[in-house]
Amino acid sequence: MIIRLVCLGALVLAAGSASASPPAQPRAPGIESPGYVWNAPNEDQMIALAHRADPSNGEEVYAVCRGCHQADGSGRGDAIYPQLAGQHASVLIKQMIDVRAGRRDNPKMHPFVADWVVSSEEVADIAAYLSQLPIPPTNLKGEGTDLTRGQALYEKDCAICHGAQGEGDAAEFYPRVAHQHYSYLDHESKLIRDGGRRNANPEMVKAIKGYSDADIAAVSDYMSRLSTESPPE
Amino acid sequence: MRLLAIQLLVVLTGCVGVLSAAPLFAQTKGDPEMGATIAARVCVACHAEDGTSPMPNTPRLARQHATYLVKQMKDYRAGRRTNEVMGNFIGGLTDEEIPHVAAYYAALQVIPGVVTDPSLLELGRRVYDDGNPGSGIPACSGCHGDEGEGTRRFPRLAGQDVGYTLEQMRRYAAGERTNDRGLMQTVADRMSEAETLAVAQYIASLIVLDTEEE
Ligand code: HEC
Ligand code: HEC
Ligand code: HEC
Ligand code: HEC
Repeated sequence: MIIRLVCLGALVLAAGSASASPPAQPRAPGIESPGYVWNAPNEDQMIALAHRADPSNGEEVYAVCRGCHQADGSGRGDAIYPQLAGQHASVLIKQMIDVRAGRRDNPKMHPFVADWVVSSEEVADIAAYLSQLPIPPTNLKGEGTDLTRGQALYEKDCAICHGAQGEGDAAEFYPRVAHQHYSYLDHESKLIRDGGRRNANPEMVKAIKGYSDADIAAVSDYMSRLSTESPPE
Repeated sequence: MRLLAIQLLVVLTGCVGVLSAAPLFAQTKGDPEMGATIAARVCVACHAEDGTSPMPNTPRLARQHATYLVKQMKDYRAGRRTNEVMGNFIGGLTDEEIPHVAAYYAALQVIPGVVTDPSLLELGRRVYDDGNPGSGIPACSGCHGDEGEGTRRFPRLAGQDVGYTLEQMRRYAAGERTNDRGLMQTVADRMSEAETLAVAQYIASLIVLDTEEE
């Protein structure tokens, strides 16, 4: 009887192995859908947030991300791969979970962060590891020609959430923007303004709605130059 | 039909192997000397005594990580990785024998690989170290290590046979090799033919003499 069971298992496995490339990123409703609630509670995120994170396991699991985000979490300004080192763990968790669920479109990254590669608990482990890495000393900055206006715009419209020094707010899931790559800040700000980042915060969309491309370039340049001495707790 | 019969036989032998080896399961650490005996009996014709590649499209096994070798052998045996030739040979190994053979190949001396087209090395290095952000190819070095040394989780690539690497990339892209949690299928699918040819040459040129096994 036991013999039959084991053999049946082997046969089913053999049959199930016929080709199938990994499933594409799913698509879940986002800001374009009526009734959208930013950061709505969901199971995957609750498991990750409740998990007692293990940064050393996070370092090991992070291996599948290094090919794009780099071993030190510095990302690549030229490739619009964001810097992850020093970002708040809560923010990292929310963004990874949103990509898995298809609330934030990122088909390039999805196969590497999908739940058959990284478990909900490992999402938290990776986030704990990255959040305690030092912010890399160099990043891509803008042209530096419009910083006074950039600062004025930032203090008027953005500092209320992202903090006077761009430090963000871990408890509120507001990202740290200080010292992020200019290319990425510029790219995301435009996406959020234009509705392309579907997991965006509607209050932020209001704040940036009237911005021209030049305004966004100026404020992004300013944010890329903010630097906070110590990484977040 | 005959093929099916052979495969069934292999699966059945596999089952018996699982059962008979169950009481010995505690023994997981392989013994290279016992592995040498098995390798000399069954594997030497295709994988050579020194773990190089005497036949086309056959992998070099010397200094490959033992954990990776064990996983591949079990995947062949269970049908999670399919190859007519290998499936048949591995089907006859027991759970007890697999770690021994793995330990044998993992401990062999490194013999540098063979580059067949040095003009492709520069492009190959760029793909390996930087990937291609435009098409979403991550750097190979991110997972396989800066020098192709691999880890407990990712196979060593340094010095691998060019024909074998190309055949695996083709299989990943075509969805014929699927024991990779989709990672390599995604990577291979995003690569151009020129990038694949070049990176296979670069991999063959990498030399790592020593690797840490956990
Ligand atoms: C194929 C390259 C690639 C791989 C591999 C990859 N990412 Fe990404 N990741 C990106 C890109 C590109 C973006 C920015 C997407 C955009 O423009 O919105 C991004 C964005 C992110 C963000 C959002 C950052 C923020 O500030 O909002 C997080 C978090 C992240 N990645 C984590 C990871 C983790 C963790 C892994 C591994 C499990 C990983 N990524 C693997 C390409 C990749
Ligand atoms: C009401 C609070 C709020 C205000 C005001 C606000 N933001 Fe945001 N911002 C957020 C939140 C929340 C996110 C993350 C959204 C998510 O969950 O994906 C975000 C994300 C971003 C990102 C992407 C960061 C990343 O790591 O992916 C950028 C860039 C950004 N904001 C720039 C700005 C700029 C520029 C302004 C001012 C014009 C601004 N924000 C005003 C709340 C705000
Ligand atoms: C008749 C030739 C032949 C014999 C005999 C043979 N192999 Fe193989 N082996 C191959 C070929 C061809 C491949 C590549 C198959 C594929 O594409 O999946 C391979 C692949 C492998 C792999 C996968 C390596 C990798 O890098 O993924 C392992 C492990 C392996 N063989 C071990 C063995 C062992 C152990 C034996 C003896 C028990 C053996 N082989 C006997 C031809 C052979
Ligand atoms: C996100 C991690 C990751 C990246 C990036 C990656 N690989 Fe892999 N690769 C793997 C894993 C995992 C396996 C083994 C899967 C298994 O257990 O069978 C593998 C296996 C392979 C193999 C088969 C090795 C063998 O002995 O059979 C080759 C060849 C390979 N990778 C080449 C590459 C090349 C070339 C690149 C860059 C273009 C690359 N890989 C990038 C994770 C990765």
